[in-house]
Amino acid sequence: MMRFVLGRLAWMAAILLGVSLVAFLLMRAIPGDFAIAAAGSQSVAPEVLATIRRDLGLDQPLLAQYLAWLGHALTGDLGTSFVTRRPVLGELLNRLAVTVQLTLLAALIAAVMGGATGLAAARLRGATDWLVRLWNGLMLAVPNYVVATLIVLLFGLYFPGITVLGYTPFLEDPLACLGSLLLPAFALALAVSVTIAENTRAAVLEVASQDFVMVARAKGLKPSAILRDYLMRNALTPVITAAGLKIAALLGGSILVETIFAIPGMGQYLFESINSRDYPVIQAIVLVAAGIVVLVNTAIDIAYARIDARVQM
Amino acid sequence: MSGAAPDSVAGAALAPRSARMGAGLGQGWLLLGLGLAMLAALLIVTVFAPLVAPYDASLTSPDSLAPASAAHWLGTDSIGRDVLSRLIVGGRTTLLITVSAVFAALVAGLVLGLAAGYLGGLVDEVIMRLLDVVFAFPVLLLAIAVVAALGPTVPNLILTIAIVYTPAMARVVRAPVLSVKQWDHVEAARSVGMSELRLVLRHILPIVISPILVATSLTLSQTIFTVTALSFLGLGPPPPDPNWGGMLSEARQFMELAPLTVIGPAAAIVYATLTFIIIANGLREVLDVGSVR
Repeated sequence: MMRFVLGRLAWMAAILLGVSLVAFLLMRAIPGDFAIAAAGSQSVAPEVLATIRRDLGLDQPLLAQYLAWLGHALTGDLGTSFVTRRPVLGELLNRLAVTVQLTLLAALIAAVMGGATGLAAARLRGATDWLVRLWNGLMLAVPNYVVATLIVLLFGLYFPGITVLGYTPFLEDPLACLGSLLLPAFALALAVSVTIAENTRAAVLEVASQDFVMVARAKGLKPSAILRDYLMRNALTPVITAAGLKIAALLGGSILVETIFAIPGMGQYLFESINSRDYPVIQAIVLVAAGIVVLVNTAIDIAYARIDARVQM
Repeated sequence: MSGAAPDSVAGAALAPRSARMGAGLGQGWLLLGLGLAMLAALLIVTVFAPLVAPYDASLTSPDSLAPASAAHWLGTDSIGRDVLSRLIVGGRTTLLITVSAVFAALVAGLVLGLAAGYLGGLVDEVIMRLLDVVFAFPVLLLAIAVVAALGPTVPNLILTIAIVYTPAMARVVRAPVLSVKQWDHVEAARSVGMSELRLVLRHILPIVISPILVATSLTLSQTIFTVTALSFLGLGPPPPDPNWGGMLSEARQFMELAPLTVIGPAAAIVYATLTFIIIANGLREVLDVGSVR
């Protein structure tokens, strides 16, 4: 077990290094001069450009630039925004806190919705199963930003009195915060809940056909006890894995959903930075978001190996 | 991430058989037929877009945000352009990028996946580890970063999306190759001195083609999402050419006044995505993917 964990961690470190290299190189690949982009204007005196180049270390070899950038990033210095001229890290952490709230709420909604519909489909079969499958098939084809846009449209048309856009900070009013995140989280959760429902359904059907369930039924255990102690327990592992792997989808999806619902999270921050060509911010968000996904995936791998001994080779 | 981490493409493609839409082979053919018919309709409309569209897609008129009427079936947008015409012409751009990008990802995935799976050893390690780095990024995030860096033009969008989906394609190709190359007929062909390239093309590729077809179809559906999402964020093909994601994003400002300006592109995106998902599910039943893993 220890060897497996160490191997995963070493592998994670290697991937993170690769991720940082990609994030660094992408922002050196922007068209035109990085110093001009940093200055924010084409008509800058050559002396000023030379100063900017020196300050940003652009006169150094590429490898030295990367190592310096990586060193800064590891010590929490993610650069300075071209727009606000303030360090990226502080603002990014504020935004990340909002995105984490949104993502967690979405994950919760997806788990409850997907788990309930998947279980219902597998246990009841018949018309319920058919309806759930049809719903899942259709929802798989509706992107989260379409769901989000249609929700905003629906409320705008039929409930103009209800404010659906904007965000209330948690510390200001926890209940209002929850209210402001509910619709965006639902839009984000819908597609993920479909995956969870399909996985739950498949897992429950699989477990239900096992001999030990038949034995339990034959010795007269109550159906509710069988459901709780045999089916749900054993079906949980594949479902949790599938759900965990959707973290990346939730983080990616939050970019669009936050923008549509005017939630000041990391996704909206990225959208603003794209529009203002604020490259250090884009770079920092790419690095942090990809880093989070790598961390979560590694954690899932390790957790999965702990639960299921077969995973270790 | 190792085999324990199915990606969004392969994850769906390799779901347990009982978890899939449709039940039997008959239903598989039905789904495939339905999907292909939907695709044919989509292709006819978009390929012959200038002939089919009732108006010039960039023609403005004073009649802005008009509701649906006999003259404008889906009404007009905020500067009086016909929404239906823009949808039809916009489908062209959206599908062109989608199909070219997935084709490029397919070719790259085939080459890398076959090389990694067949040659194995160090080549396999190097290729898969490099792809793992790309794979570590959330698809949309990486696409945004690359397009933001390179600039949003049609060739750049195709390149970006091809890069983003190549690792998933390579994985789908590699996994079955690993087992098929041990099979007796491959061994036999090798022992009679068949060249390596011919061996791969004649005896390995045909067997692994089924999962690849399914994965390609699923990737097409996801690429529609990525392309329109990028356009929605302002990283789509430059104006004035319409595209679905851009139309949806532009229309949001006035959507309460003219809901059709939003519902139109939304429906088009869902239709195209659904088409490829249905084809993928039909193919999966008909080709019985899942037995080859």
